[in-house]
Amino acid sequence: MATILTYVATAEGKIKRSALEVLSHSRTLAQSGGHTLEAVILDANPDAFIDTLKNYGPSKIYTVKSPLFANHLNAPVTEALAKVVDQAKPFLVTFASTESTKDVIGALASRFDAAAIPDVASFNLSGNSVEALRPVMAAKILSKTASDASLTLVSVRSGSYDATEAPSSAEVVNVDFDFDEGGLRAILKEVISGSGDKVDLSEAEVVVAAGRGIKDAEGVKLIDDLADALGAAIGASRAVTESGLFSPSLQIGQTGKVVSPQLYFAIGISGAIQHVAGMANSKVIVAINKDADAPIFQYATYGLVGDLFKIVPLLTEEIRKIKAN
Amino acid sequence: MKFSVCIKQVPDVSAPISIKDGTLSQDSDRMVLDAYSASAVEEALVLTEAHGGEVEVVLVGPEKAKETIRKALAMGAASGVHIHVEDISGFDSAAFAEVLAAWHKKSSYDVILTGKQSQDTDAGLTGGMLAWKLELPYVANAVGLKFEEGQFTVKRQGDSGQEMIRVQHPCLITCSNDMNDPRIPNLKGIMASKKKPVQTITLEDLGLSVEELTGKVTKTTKQGFQEVPGREPGKKFEGDAAELVATLSNLLQNEAKVL
Repeated sequence: MATILTYVATAEGKIKRSALEVLSHSRTLAQSGGHTLEAVILDANPDAFIDTLKNYGPSKIYTVKSPLFANHLNAPVTEALAKVVDQAKPFLVTFASTESTKDVIGALASRFDAAAIPDVASFNLSGNSVEALRPVMAAKILSKTASDASLTLVSVRSGSYDATEAPSSAEVVNVDFDFDEGGLRAILKEVISGSGDKVDLSEAEVVVAAGRGIKDAEGVKLIDDLADALGAAIGASRAVTESGLFSPSLQIGQTGKVVSPQLYFAIGISGAIQHVAGMANSKVIVAINKDADAPIFQYATYGLVGDLFKIVPLLTEEIRKIKAN
Repeated sequence: MKFSVCIKQVPDVSAPISIKDGTLSQDSDRMVLDAYSASAVEEALVLTEAHGGEVEVVLVGPEKAKETIRKALAMGAASGVHIHVEDISGFDSAAFAEVLAAWHKKSSYDVILTGKQSQDTDAGLTGGMLAWKLELPYVANAVGLKFEEGQFTVKRQGDSGQEMIRVQHPCLITCSNDMNDPRIPNLKGIMASKKKPVQTITLEDLGLSVEELTGKVTKTTKQGFQEVPGREPGKKFEGDAAELVATLSNLLQNEAKVL
């Protein structure tokens, strides 16, 4: 029986939603293809996640325990995943396409002489061949890409699939990991996080995103207030991170974060395709822009044409009223 | 200090694209220096201007791509290496990494810079693959780079926040286009570029062949292109701000049920 292995990433004490999405779709493919689904967790305390993982149906869970995994370095992660791949011998390894994944997937592919299809919008199996659709040319179009290599690595953009539960019993296998920390040739000195940076934007369920229409500090305050009322994470278009109004970690777009919240507010954002590529998987999109012809309105579930400086304060007040009830 | 910057020539992604029967067509066949590669060149120039050293650019591609090497030289790079492969259409990231690894095994460098991805494929694999093949420590998605006390410190954009990573050299760093604003060559730079050396290397020189690279090394196949699916058309409203908010509030609660 052939094995599909999903790398289930954790951060800040939780399993990443995007990883559960990939695990769920991997399970669907395993079931329809008659394959085995296995999962791997790397964490300082991997046992804490086993119960949650069992709800998503893998038949085996590999755990690798080390405090090193919290230090954002690619070397320990690559080595640990390689050890599990050596043991599990999958034909397909699936990942959520996060910055951490992007940091290791190339090296892993070379290590195993595997095919890699990164950052896909969708993927399926045809026998043991993998077929995927992935955005290319600055996200303007989709490329259909396939592999029938003996091992393929696939990473998936967040929000491409839903996380769905299918509880099962799973065998838990702990894999020993002895990493020579003294041999590290790259070390983490510090993590800089500004306000709002601590949240991984790509995991947020509600996002308020600011664009060029937010001209100044007054506009930033409107965004802060709305996000606060909603309990939302804040994101930004490239233009306003470049201008310094918002931290670069908040950039949403093809080269920034890919987000897939239930509710996305695009405020003063024109809707350039590179930005849309970062949020098109959002379930409900609300756009507020004074230009009725802004491309964002082609993507918005609900579009409000008007002055955001008038609309947003009223919206914030309305949200506060709703939440108070 | 010698920087080897891997650059790519790509189609101009700002030119209109259309898809006919699964194949790509663009009105313009204008090819440009990939934006992420450009940031890598710019960063190398900034660092060598501050700390001394030289920048060599390396490009794998057809004869036509020489103009992109010249652009990097006009920006200020000291020399270029053109690994001439006339038809790269059958190459995936692994093939490029294989070629670049073979070149770098024969050359000398302190740091290899690449873009974190390239605008044509957005794959983002080649840097990590190349670092693995050369057994180099690497840092990906750099938004800042400093050289202090003989060491490189990379500011990396992570999933939450920015990570400061100190890396020993020789090393490889992949660069975000958020790192800097690549300079536009001026006339002086363009004139000077004509005299700068560009070495032409063949795959045979590197002990490789197109057949091996497209047949064995490349493991993915491209099966055509599709339009990005649009979303269901939504509702658009104009009018008084208070009315707009009331309408939206009602829809979010009762129709979309997200509030």
